[in-house]
Amino acid sequence: MRSRMPPQAYIDEAWFERERDLLFKPLWQFIGLKVMLEKHNAFITRTLFGVPVVVQNFQGELRAFENVCPHRQNPIQVQPHGVRPLFCGYHGWSFDREGATRIPHEDALFRFPQEERACIHLRRFALEVVGNLVFVCLAETPLPIKQQFGAAMLASLTASSLAYDSEVIMTTYEGKFNWKLAYENLRDGHHPRYLHARSLYQDVKFEATVSEEGVEGLRRLQQDGIPGRHRALGLMRSFSGGGRDAPMAAPPNEPYHAHVARYRDQDWYYNWLAFPNLHIASANGGYAFIVEHHIPVSAGRTDLVVYYLTAKKKQPYASSAAVLHAHMMGTDVVMREDIDVMEQIQKTLHPGARSPHLGDYEFVNASLEFWYLDLMEGKFAL
Amino acid sequence: MPCKHVIGCGDALAHAMAAWRTVAPECELQMLEIDPGAGPAPIAATLAGVEGASAFVAVDARFLNGLRLDLMASLRLRGIAMPALVEPGALIAAGARIEDNCWIGAGAIVQHGSRIGFNTVIGAGAIVGSGATVGHSSWIDEGVVIGRGARIGAQVTLGLGVIVGHGRQVGKLCIIDKAGRIEADVAAKTFIHATHAQPIVIIGA
Repeated sequence: MRSRMPPQAYIDEAWFERERDLLFKPLWQFIGLKVMLEKHNAFITRTLFGVPVVVQNFQGELRAFENVCPHRQNPIQVQPHGVRPLFCGYHGWSFDREGATRIPHEDALFRFPQEERACIHLRRFALEVVGNLVFVCLAETPLPIKQQFGAAMLASLTASSLAYDSEVIMTTYEGKFNWKLAYENLRDGHHPRYLHARSLYQDVKFEATVSEEGVEGLRRLQQDGIPGRHRALGLMRSFSGGGRDAPMAAPPNEPYHAHVARYRDQDWYYNWLAFPNLHIASANGGYAFIVEHHIPVSAGRTDLVVYYLTAKKKQPYASSAAVLHAHMMGTDVVMREDIDVMEQIQKTLHPGARSPHLGDYEFVNASLEFWYLDLMEGKFAL
Repeated sequence: MPCKHVIGCGDALAHAMAAWRTVAPECELQMLEIDPGAGPAPIAATLAGVEGASAFVAVDARFLNGLRLDLMASLRLRGIAMPALVEPGALIAAGARIEDNCWIGAGAIVQHGSRIGFNTVIGAGAIVGSGATVGHSSWIDEGVVIGRGARIGAQVTLGLGVIVGHGRQVGKLCIIDKAGRIEADVAAKTFIHATHAQPIVIIGA
């Protein structure tokens, strides 16, 4: 079938800004791992679709704010993560768990009128913790997170992420491609056989199949359209899911496995796709996890923040840092195979580019693009 | 002290054997090769075969530093002496301290007041500036320069072409595998690779 996605959806900056307002702003977005925020004053910062966000631990309670000092718009926390009070280094303004501001020399130097002073506080965002995964929502009236992911997906994310250890390795890849190429790639189960033939496919034999039920559902969708917001939300939930994906070619066997409490006990590749831009996988049957967060930066730029963790340690072991490093370097091969092909695709796109052709096995991507274009055309709102 | 057993794996093992033959030609050397992928039991069985007064452990950099540390610890716990190997042509200044099972390559210069922690490899031609310290079980590649008073943590790997500025600190368990000058302190568990635009970091424990 012919894709309806115009090339502008991948290359046009005005389109990208509409995506921010229509898709990302109303939705819950992953921002980081709770294991990175365990201490009082621990924080992480990210820029989500151009909005700088800080999540800070106040005596065990997590709060999300816009990471901008209301005085001169200086970022309050300047590092991507760390342990530091919520304090602006420019003029010494500090902020409490409500975002209220303490201003040094306020009476002598600032002398704000009472009504202006009442408005000086941080902009707060909604925050939800799902197991070890922290999400924020930039909307003033957030959608209940269950409506975005569904109860079963949230339960699966909670159970699996609670198996994470507290020692995490992370890095960021600066991808020169549109963020949607990443979710399309992840929902395409046929590419590993070719693109990852010498890497991931050696360990896990992914088999793409055609779901006649899924294809029929797509046909109905194309025929009947999306009748309203309720149906649109239901369809969106179907784009997220997770659990066992494919059996492993051989049982996992690394010396460190004896030191960690495995998530479940099955020799399967686990895969979780949380729409729109979070991917979690365990390529070794629950001994370790990769968490990939695809952060849109511009129409042609996506930052891939990659976290790698083992399952919880039974007790500390000397080589844990080396294990994490080895996993990160191992996954680098697969990551670069994906990034290279997405960057190649991005380079071929131009305003007159022809639409791609999707096979029946790609019914999920076809449904997703149908839903996405209806959203972008204003046929429903989130 | 002459060495009796040279234990390890990879190219480093053969290289160490050749170096010990040069340094201690009177000593009868025995090479014991371990298989890092064989798991703890076969390695322990190999180590059980070490008898006598002294041994030396040599393992390639690709196994990072943990394996070398594990092997050395097993032998030390049995009271086996593990003298350092200083290859011909290396220059060790008076007042420099070289601990057990260190390996100082040919042409390396270890300057006055510096200290090389146990089990650390200083590659051929590397320079350790005066007053600098290198923690235990580190791997300093050939030609690396460590500036005056710099402090390199334990189990650090510095790759080809790295120059650590005077007085800089590199935290424990770091890997810097990207040629160039380090002119800012590097936090523990930071991995800087030429292949990655941004550093890889480990958070928490």
